[in-house]
Amino acid sequence: MSEESRGFARDNALSLTFGGLFVLTLAGQAVSGTADYNTQQIVEGLEPVTLFEYVTSSSFGIDVMENWQSEYLQFFLYIFATVWLIQRGSAESKKPGEEGPESDKEQRLGRHANDDSPEWARTGGWRTALFSRSLGMLMGGLFLLTWAASSIAGWAAFNNEQLGQRQDPVNWFGYLGEADFWNRSFQNWQSEMLAVGSMAVFSVYLRQRGSPESKPVGVAHADTGQTG
Amino acid sequence: MVRVAVVSGRRAVLATVAGACMVLTGCSSMQQPDVEQAATTFEESGADPATRCELLAPATLVEFEEKESASCAEAIEDVPLEGGEVESVEIWGGDAQVRLSGDTLFLTETHAGWRITAASCQSRGEAPYDCEVEGP
Repeated sequence: MSEESRGFARDNALSLTFGGLFVLTLAGQAVSGTADYNTQQIVEGLEPVTLFEYVTSSSFGIDVMENWQSEYLQFFLYIFATVWLIQRGSAESKKPGEEGPESDKEQRLGRHANDDSPEWARTGGWRTALFSRSLGMLMGGLFLLTWAASSIAGWAAFNNEQLGQRQDPVNWFGYLGEADFWNRSFQNWQSEMLAVGSMAVFSVYLRQRGSPESKPVGVAHADTGQTG
Repeated sequence: MVRVAVVSGRRAVLATVAGACMVLTGCSSMQQPDVEQAATTFEESGADPATRCELLAPATLVEFEEKESASCAEAIEDVPLEGGEVESVEIWGGDAQVRLSGDTLFLTETHAGWRITAASCQSRGEAPYDCEVEGP
């Protein structure tokens, strides 16, 4: 049964709100980042830069990319891990015994598809195989792209810093072996793993009334995979 | 076939890296002539001391005069500036390094153009260069 539309804004309130918040917070990062960068420039006896110069610099590039890559890594790992791993009692988990990709019937594939199922869920073959993993693959692909972008922006920022400290620049492969690259990666990754792990556990014992990220308030702690 | 695919794949990666690098470094090849010009003018044998001092970044000029307890025009004459041919230029953001056959210089981009932040520098491996003329 398809849901009745209640207008574009209400139908897309979640994505519109987060899209707007993304733009606002990115602008906030650009403005505060420029101020922070210029404070350092003045300390080093160098000239301040404009907002445009800052947002087109490797310094802004690495600050944005190192966060994006870790977010996409988080979702990529979570999407694949929750296929095979369960957390008893968690709203974020399938029920014990449901581990794995599940049957075609459970996933409504091929002849089990509904009339309104996506076409690639019905056709079978490589299209269905690809569509069945498209969300995780997109997240994995975006992770690899943003991590690569992070390595390039980080390399440029690192060399800029090296020259400012009167040290020799390194090539891209050299940067991949630098502690700076791995420190930036790990410090972002660990925070994502913490957030995902704690959410899986917190949703066993705590509730948020009305949120699909939580179990209904009255559901037992031991019940797994219910959302309200 | 596999070998060809690997090589072209690596080329594509390197081209992407180089392209992204160009964007991130503000098209450094366009700035290279200005950077070279500032470095070679500064190091030119028999260059006017006043010209050399004008090419120093403001903070470097102040630091140099304080360290030498003399005006820049006087003190710069005692600095060994070997100059020579340009061997390499590296530009990353608003900073640059020029290696000449007889010296290594570091520069920064200012509103007045590229200015020298350090000159008469000796490499110390991983540690920062040891420079006769340098800023904060």
